[in-house]
Amino acid sequence: MKLTRVFLALIAMLVVRPHAFAQNNKMPDANKSASAVGTSGSHSHDLSGIWMPYSIHMDGIDEKARPPLTPWGKARFDAAAPLVGPRAVAGKENNPALYCEPEAVPKSLVLPNPLEIIQASGRMFMFFEQYHLWRTIWADGRPLPKDPDPTYLGYAVGKWDGDTFVVDTIGMNDKPWVDSYGNPRSEQMHLTERYRRLDHDTLEMQIIMDDPKAYTRPWVSPPQKFKLEPSWEIAEFFCIVDEENNYGDAVRKPAGVAPK
Amino acid sequence: MKEAKEIKDENIRRPARRCHFSVLLFPEISLFRLLPFLLVSLLYFSPNLHSQTAPAVAVSRASHDLGGVWMPFPDKRENGEPVISGIEEKTRPPLTPWGQARFDAAIPFLGPRIQPGKENNPSLRCEPEAVPKSLILPNPFEIVQIPGRIFMFFEEFHLWRTIWTDGRPLPKSPDPTYLGYSVGRWEGDTLVVETVGFNDKPWVDAYGNPRSEQMHLTERYRRIDHDTMELRIIMDDPKAYTKTWVSSPRRFKFEPGWEIGEYFCIVDEEQDYAGRIRKPAGGDMPATAPEQDRKK
Repeated sequence: MKLTRVFLALIAMLVVRPHAFAQNNKMPDANKSASAVGTSGSHSHDLSGIWMPYSIHMDGIDEKARPPLTPWGKARFDAAAPLVGPRAVAGKENNPALYCEPEAVPKSLVLPNPLEIIQASGRMFMFFEQYHLWRTIWADGRPLPKDPDPTYLGYAVGKWDGDTFVVDTIGMNDKPWVDSYGNPRSEQMHLTERYRRLDHDTLEMQIIMDDPKAYTRPWVSPPQKFKLEPSWEIAEFFCIVDEENNYGDAVRKPAGVAPK
Repeated sequence: MKEAKEIKDENIRRPARRCHFSVLLFPEISLFRLLPFLLVSLLYFSPNLHSQTAPAVAVSRASHDLGGVWMPFPDKRENGEPVISGIEEKTRPPLTPWGQARFDAAIPFLGPRIQPGKENNPSLRCEPEAVPKSLILPNPFEIVQIPGRIFMFFEEFHLWRTIWTDGRPLPKSPDPTYLGYSVGRWEGDTLVVETVGFNDKPWVDAYGNPRSEQMHLTERYRRIDHDTMELRIIMDDPKAYTKTWVSSPRRFKFEPGWEIGEYFCIVDEEQDYAGRIRKPAGGDMPATAPEQDRKK
């Protein structure tokens, strides 16, 4: 039992792919890119830069805070066989990441790899290092669309509420998991992210998921903190199916066994 | 074989709501088959649904502004095959022995070298197309300029790329990647983008022409008028080609009312689509299909 726990902890550390990949860029003038962030205070409405989560435990989406699942949500959850956690079963893993399907939001927000925020006129971009994902958040005052086609990333709009940037996203499909443990999302998901710069080097993000088809109440996780990394560049980290399968078999899967 | 012929271009696969560009590319497809696409497109482009009226920037030839969504002008067809301009096999210099070996090992699903059932195009496994290939796909891309940096967002496979324009030099010995490391500068009214540090995995076109880690890619962008951009691709890869490969320019149309749609490569969907439509004979999946990996 004790051994199992140690092993799970080890897997948990490994499954969050070590960010050994990259960020420490050798370009001497890499700082230039982030210089725009240099003088901002917490009220400057500037979140640009590369942000690295403090914790590798992906605690921005906290299963402890999860409300009860609906019957639909429970069926989805039961069908998910994760690589980590108490429900991991060697050889049965069906994590969508094994097939390089987009993790999308909210999961990409809590992965233990950096993300970059770029603010352009009327628009914010997020670049997630893991799986080379990008996302647009419209910040030009447009409303959320009425009946968007469901997509992996959904349709996101953001606005400032004091010193907090509030992002609302709807129009998501029900394919990705919201976390590593197989918790589901449905097409009714309304995701809210609240970003606040606590000080120059620290960004706080809180994730609120309101998905009445999957959960009986909104799921409010505790805030997660990110650290500004002005000298980093987002590196290239694509998901390649063959490599993922090898990595999954060799490292990620609970017993390191190939699926039958 | 005949049925598959008219739409076997690997590049036309896109979600229904994307665009009706296939009508231009493949005029022989009957209107009936395109009816659902047309209806969806009509809805998508109707006012107020996705009303992004990007402020029409007043651009002069020398304004150094390429920001916006750009859609390639339709390609011609010769003998039923799309002639994908921008990277033209006609202008390809002789291959080196290394290049020839790579080329021979590549089995595309269009062109004269097809072998039904043996196709090994990396996009079947959703590997990144990367540059230069993403630049010539028949789907839109968006350019966003901020100080010191230009972003390109390719609709096909949801790819993004950074071009540094802060005066930094190309890195001396970068780790090889799919996208390489890009820097750009203005020469008069032309944006010149140079990229090194490529890996040798993607093909440069749909026909299986290779690239090596020695590839030095140059892209020259020029806005000929407010609505038209011209791109010329120059590939210098001495390991794969005996001379520099210079293609003729390709033109793009400014589309101020468009937003880049979400178009991810999903392996199962790609396999499914490829099996039914792209492959010349609609043949079996390649052995690398993840479905088979799962069952092994």
